[in-house]
Amino acid sequence: MVAPALVFAGVMIVFPFGYAVWLSLCEIALGQPPRLNGGANYARLAADADFWNGLRLTLLLYVISLVAQLVIGTWLGLLLARSRWARGIIRTILVSPFMLPPVVIGMMAIVILDPSFGIANWILAQLGLPPRLWLSDPDTVILTVAAIDTWQWTPFVALIVMGGYLSLPGEVFEAAEVDGARGWQRFRRLTLPLLGPTLVTAAVLRSVDLLRFFDVIYITTQGGPGTASTTLNIMAYRRGFEFFDIGYASAIMVTLSAIIFGSVLAFARLRRAVTW
Amino acid sequence: MVGRRLGRAADAVALGAVLLVLAAPVLWVLLSAFKTRTEVAALPPRLLFTPTLENFAELFGRGDFLDYTWNSFVVAGGSMLLGLVLGFPAAFAMAWHRMTWPATATLFARMAPGTLFLLPWLVMFTSVGLTGTRTVLVLTHAVITLPITIWVLLPYLEGVPRELIESAQIDGARAHQVLLRVVLPVVVPGVVVAAILSFVFSWNYFLFALVLSGLESKTAIVASFNFVGEGVTNWGALMAAAVVIAAPPLILTMLIQRRLVGGLAAGAVKG
Repeated sequence: MVAPALVFAGVMIVFPFGYAVWLSLCEIALGQPPRLNGGANYARLAADADFWNGLRLTLLLYVISLVAQLVIGTWLGLLLARSRWARGIIRTILVSPFMLPPVVIGMMAIVILDPSFGIANWILAQLGLPPRLWLSDPDTVILTVAAIDTWQWTPFVALIVMGGYLSLPGEVFEAAEVDGARGWQRFRRLTLPLLGPTLVTAAVLRSVDLLRFFDVIYITTQGGPGTASTTLNIMAYRRGFEFFDIGYASAIMVTLSAIIFGSVLAFARLRRAVTW
Repeated sequence: MVGRRLGRAADAVALGAVLLVLAAPVLWVLLSAFKTRTEVAALPPRLLFTPTLENFAELFGRGDFLDYTWNSFVVAGGSMLLGLVLGFPAAFAMAWHRMTWPATATLFARMAPGTLFLLPWLVMFTSVGLTGTRTVLVLTHAVITLPITIWVLLPYLEGVPRELIESAQIDGARAHQVLLRVVLPVVVPGVVVAAILSFVFSWNYFLFALVLSGLESKTAIVASFNFVGEGVTNWGALMAAAVVIAAPPLILTMLIQRRLVGGLAAGAVKG
């Protein structure tokens, strides 16, 4: 009964993956069959300033967003758990951001963050603050993207944290109450360690999506201005589908896949370390 | 007591602020979709206005947006069904034989960047003459829906009592009869969650259709993205498109809210 699914996965996932790895080892000129070129694409990668810029931006976006989402998500998740607030209309508001199509998130950002006609700068003006070029300032565009993703996915992290917290054994907390552990002490010594596995789960899910982040960047900036938001996935896409530099694009994609798998494995080890 | 009450008030204020930050942009899009061309870009913003449907009239008046919306339904529905047809028996076999490596293997598709598959797919589908059809989108989106289906269904299927199945086998039922008549009715709630999540993720998915769809098979998601690319200055119509493509996922997920997060995180816990 597994056979149909395995055949499908073989044709649609495993074979294409192998094919992409092979392409990444080939020189591909239009009108000629691919020719193995002994890792020249990877050598080119190592010498390409654009690649290192892409890697830097990918990791920057990843670290900023992940930290923000885990910290705010933990705070919000515990807040929700305290009064079991995630019900009805509140839950609808919480899940809406991450269930919206990324294209809608992008359109929303374009309209709200427009430098002249967007409401974001109007609000800044009311507060007496200078306007910002949210999506067109090369120095801060990656922060804007990180903020958009944090807006969208922090509620997801919060709901995971809430679920994890509510499934913890209540006696532990009663015992701590008796021992007089309160506030920060209680959070630092008790809640946080107990939530370890839950937080690792949330971190894995967000890591995979953040490292291969594509949609919202491509919709709002296409990687610009210049290359200021050209993360590795955006770079791979543009090299492959706009410049048809197939072998090189494949090498970037394979490298990015390796980074993602590496991070998932690292979190799998971390989970064993924090499991109680 | 006073301290506790103060704490509660502080919690309520904090939660209110969070909900405002989360809801305001979504409401802003919704309101903008019902404003006239001049009202939509007016600053200070007009919160009180006479709602109009002219943006939706313009959007669907262009003719093809209705076709693209239909394409989205066909692709999301088709890949959801394909995911269930392939994933339900596979998940059952995995639960029955307590073998999880195939499930773990499907996580691979969930981790790899979508761009990685696109070039090989393009070559594969060109060689069989399928490029630009909705079939291609159904097949490629099933790469998303299959892992979702398997991982959402696994815990439900592991909960099916083994005696139930064994007694059906003793009665001489064939494998597919056991699956459809004995197992399926017990795990309907899981199938509903898997189907809704699959549909929503396929509906929302952008990258595969961006590259692999043709003029005829374009989804509403890609068509909306093209509006942005064309530099459409009519924000009202843009926001109307956003409302149209946002409605199905929001309405569907409301039905399974309580199981939503567990379904999305399935696979990350064990895998």
